[in-house]
Formats: sequence, structure tokens, C-alpha cells
Amino acid sequence: MSARRFDAGRAGYFALNGAIVTFLLAPIAIVAVFAVNPTPYISFPPVGVTLRWFEKFFSSEDFMNALWLSLQVAVAVLVLSMLIGAACALALARGNLPGARVLTAFFMSPLMLPAILTGLALFQIYLLAGIGRPVWGLIMGHTLVAVPYVLRTTLAVLHNFDRRIEEAAAILGASPVRIFFEVTLPLIRPGVVAGGIFAFIVSFDQFPISLFLVLPKGETLPVVLFNYMKFDLDGAIAAASMVSIVMAISVVLLLEKLIGLKAYVKL
Amino acid sequence: MTKRTISRRTVMQVGAAAAATFAAPAILHAQTATLKITTWGGKWGEIMKGSVLPAFEKEHKCSVSADQAFPFVPKLQASPKKDPIYDVLHTNSNEQWKCLVEGLVEPKLDTKKVPNLADVYPYAISESIVGVSIFTSAIGLGYRTDKGLAKPTSWKDLADPKLAGMRGGYLIPVNSLGQAHLMMLGKIYGKGFQDLDAAYKALEQLKPIKLFDFTGQMEKAFLSAEVSMGVIHDSGIYRYDGQNQPIDFAIPKEGVPALEQVLSVTPGSKVKELAYAYINYMLRPDVQKQLAEGVWYSPSNKKVNLDAKYDARLFNTPEKVAQLIQMPWKWYNERKDDIDTRVARILKS
Repeated sequence: MSARRFDAGRAGYFALNGAIVTFLLAPIAIVAVFAVNPTPYISFPPVGVTLRWFEKFFSSEDFMNALWLSLQVAVAVLVLSMLIGAACALALARGNLPGARVLTAFFMSPLMLPAILTGLALFQIYLLAGIGRPVWGLIMGHTLVAVPYVLRTTLAVLHNFDRRIEEAAAILGASPVRIFFEVTLPLIRPGVVAGGIFAFIVSFDQFPISLFLVLPKGETLPVVLFNYMKFDLDGAIAAASMVSIVMAISVVLLLEKLIGLKAYVKL
Repeated sequence: MTKRTISRRTVMQVGAAAAATFAAPAILHAQTATLKITTWGGKWGEIMKGSVLPAFEKEHKCSVSADQAFPFVPKLQASPKKDPIYDVLHTNSNEQWKCLVEGLVEPKLDTKKVPNLADVYPYAISESIVGVSIFTSAIGLGYRTDKGLAKPTSWKDLADPKLAGMRGGYLIPVNSLGQAHLMMLGKIYGKGFQDLDAAYKALEQLKPIKLFDFTGQMEKAFLSAEVSMGVIHDSGIYRYDGQNQPIDFAIPKEGVPALEQVLSVTPGSKVKELAYAYINYMLRPDVQKQLAEGVWYSPSNKKVNLDAKYDARLFNTPEKVAQLIQMPWKWYNERKDDIDTRVARILKS
């Protein structure tokens, strides 16, 4: 058997990929180290291992209330943005709407505006309308910036959609409603779900919009963390970040289990 | 068909019921008035939420909605002036001046409405203050005691070449301490707080310097020895008292800028009497003592008797208070954009 020849191109390819992965994962690694390091400041190398910051995080009423609220809001945003985003995508792709391109740009526009301005504008509108800052107002704000993700991923699926499948169902006697639920929806589901995952993560980590729309004693986790950092920069912040990361990964895994992620990976 | 008659009694009953229905929200509102305030987080927030605010709510039969989520001033600016989002604004002095110029807060408080104003040190209600300063901390120099450094005696000690890369300051556009330090540089190296050319030149000499957004980050930089000497308020060092940390605070001979904790009332507040009562409560000796000893802030009320270790360090006598310097924030705010541009250029190059 001859020894494998050294392939410089292949080695370079792996080195580049390794560098990119390291670059992407390094911040998470630093946060993980900080989260278990006993010192109340970032120090390297770590001087030991402790779970006291996780204990502080989980025993803090403020952190727990914020975590719970963030989760509730993110789930609501996930559902709403999937409904609105999918409906908009179908209308834009198939509705023969006049000015569909303009409408698409309009629906995508929340992503183009600085989110802090969107938050400030919503805050002002709510106050002028006498609504105050209810939780549903916060959910609406998050949904505004989450819908474009679902819209974009669903439009991508619809772009490659083979409409002959629907026509075949119609020829075989299926009603439009049945076609939608048994043909169209299963086929666009990967796009909707992919967008929904983005929507959940965008909402869960949303800071600029929440900054203006949260109520006292009703703050989301990113807002609580930001305010905490101004006065107490310790490992509890890193512990909270680790919990957030685990939470996001859990949602992705849960959706994979429930709906199947492999289909959307093809996108 | 029977003819239905409406008796006077029925009319009165219906009328009374209707009146009660319409009046009920007002009565309920009066019984559970809500005071909307801003307040800090951290240890201060813990004490406020844990005991200070619940006691006030009980005394005044009201509820307090305390916003700890920054930024306070943009939220106040964005809310209607006739129905502001806050009744009492708690910020540092620079932001209060900004709000006053925009008509968002009342300039002064009345002793008749806030009787405890009669007992505060003059600086707390001076011409440099909007509303009232309920506490202050002193901006001076923090330093590591394990780095062979002599205790600093002057602001000029921060420019010692030995501290290159080990001195700490702030991102001046976003931090009150950084802004106060810049004005202090004008005073020490030039003709006064307003001598910006001298201040810029002195700032240039402090490079390389590590810059931070918040005092909390500076505190951690001290603890981790990332910084050996830096600008910080006394509270940021003293709060580690008893934790065996090699850090200390120095009061430079040129004096220390006051970092005032200021309360003011918004003109459009619907519960002004409650707002004044809250400020009066915050100035009460027992409340002042609790918070002063909890977070190492110097109380404004002259009648506060602090425990020995706090008494030794905090600014609570006329002689000690005389070392506090109040900054010309109105003047600074008027030039803030130009100053921000200039310091950004200096510190980036």
C-alpha cells in the first residue's frame, strides 16, 4: 500500500475551516470558562471550577422572572411570525398582487432599520395611543423584526415549489383547503420552520426593541443582563449567557425532534 | 298590556349605581396611586426593592413602579410631557441638566413640599443642582496597593509614565465620570474646568489608557489587576471593603468631582404630591443611613449618623463636603457633541 500523498490544497482547506470554526466558537468558549471560574472577573487561565455563578443566576428572582418572560415572549413570537410570515409569503409568491416586489421590500424593511429606532418608535406610538407597555406590545415589537426571517425562508421554498404537485391533487379531486393542508403546507414547512427558529432566537436575544418596551418588574433577560452589567459584572452574566445558548440549542433540537430539521437543511 | 311606572326610588337607585360605577375607577385610582420612578440596579436596587420602596408604599398606601432599565432620559423624552413616563427622575447631574433644558423636569424643589430639604448640605440644592442631590460619591483615583505604587496625591499622578497601559479611564461620551475627569484636567492643567484645549492636551498625555463604559467594568479591571490606577468613585472601591482586595481610593489634593445622585419631579406628573413625598422620604435620616451604608454613598442629610467605618470615609461633615467639586454640567452639555467628536479622535489615534 502506498503512503497517501500530502495534499497542500486539502490541508489549506481544512486549516481555513478550522480557523473559521475556532473564530466562531471562541467567544462561547470564553463565556463558558468565565461561567465556571470562581473569580468575579474575567481571568485567564482560570483559577478553579465553581458552579456558584449558575447558583446565583438560578436563585435570583430577577433573573428567573426575566428568563421565564423571555421564553414566553419568544414562543409567542415564534408562533405569530410563522403564521404571519407564511401567509405573507404565500400571498406575495402566488397572489399576483400588484407591486409584489415593493410589498416584499416593505415586509423586509424592519431588518433594514436600526432596531433601536424601531423600539423607540413603537414606544412612542404605544404611549401616544395610551396603550402603555403591555406584554403583547412587546410581542408585537419582536414579531415585527422576526417576520422577515420567516418570510425570506418561506419565499425561498416557494421559489422552487413544483406547482404540478398541487395541480395533480386538484385533478384527483382534492379541494383547495385539502390541497393547502395536505400538499402545500407540508412542502413549505421546512422554510416556515427554519424561519420560526430564527424568529425564536431573534426574540429570545432581542435587546434594542425590548429596551424601550419592557415594564419595570417585567424585563426580558437581555435587558436584565445589560442593567446588571452596569453595576455587577461577575460570572452570573456568563452563566446567564450559557443558559441562553443551551436554551437556543434546545429549541433547535426540539424542533428537529418534532418536525425534522433535515428537510430544512436542504434550503 | 300593563303600564310600567318608574318610581323616584328606582331612579335614585339606578342613579346611585351608575354614579358608583363611573366613580369606582377614580376611587380605586385614588386608593392605589402609582408613583413611577427611575432607580439604579445592583446593590442599590436590591435595597430599594427589598425594603426602602415597600416601606414607602406602606406608609403612603400607594404602589411604586421603579424602572431600572436604562436609558431613562430617551424614554422620558419620547413620552408625552403632559403624561410623562416618570414622576420622579433619578439620574446623575449631567442628565438632569439635559432634561431641565428640554423642560422635562422641574428646576427646583420647595421646602414646604419637601421639608427634609432644610437639613441637607448646601451642595445638594446649590445652583449646580436640578432638584436635589440625595447622595453623592466622590470621583477620585483608585489604585492597586500591591503594585508598588505610592498612594496618589494629585490628579497628575495618573500621568506617571510608569502607568502606561495600566491606567484606566472611561469612554467620555457615555460616562459621567469620564466627562467630569475631562473637565478636571482642564482645571489642573489649564485655566479652569472650561479650558478644553488644556484638557485635550492632558488627555493625550494619558495614552495609552484602558477605557471602560461603566464603573462596574472599571471595578473588575481593578480587581483583576488589568488596571493599576484609574478614575473611579469612592463607592466603587469601598464596596469591596472587608473582601481582602488590594485596592484603595485616594482623594487628590486638587479636590474630587461630586457624582451626585439627583432626584427631580416631572412637570406633567399626575401624582406630584406623592412625588414630593417620595423625595422627602429619600432624604429622611433613617432611609439615608440605610442606603449610604449599603452602597457607600455620602448622604446629603446633615442629620444622618453613620456607623464608625462609614463615618471615617464618607463625605458627611462640612469640612469633608468642602472637598467636593460640582461640575458645570449645563456648560458641558451645550458643547457635548463637539467634545465627543474631539475626544473620540484623540483616544482613537
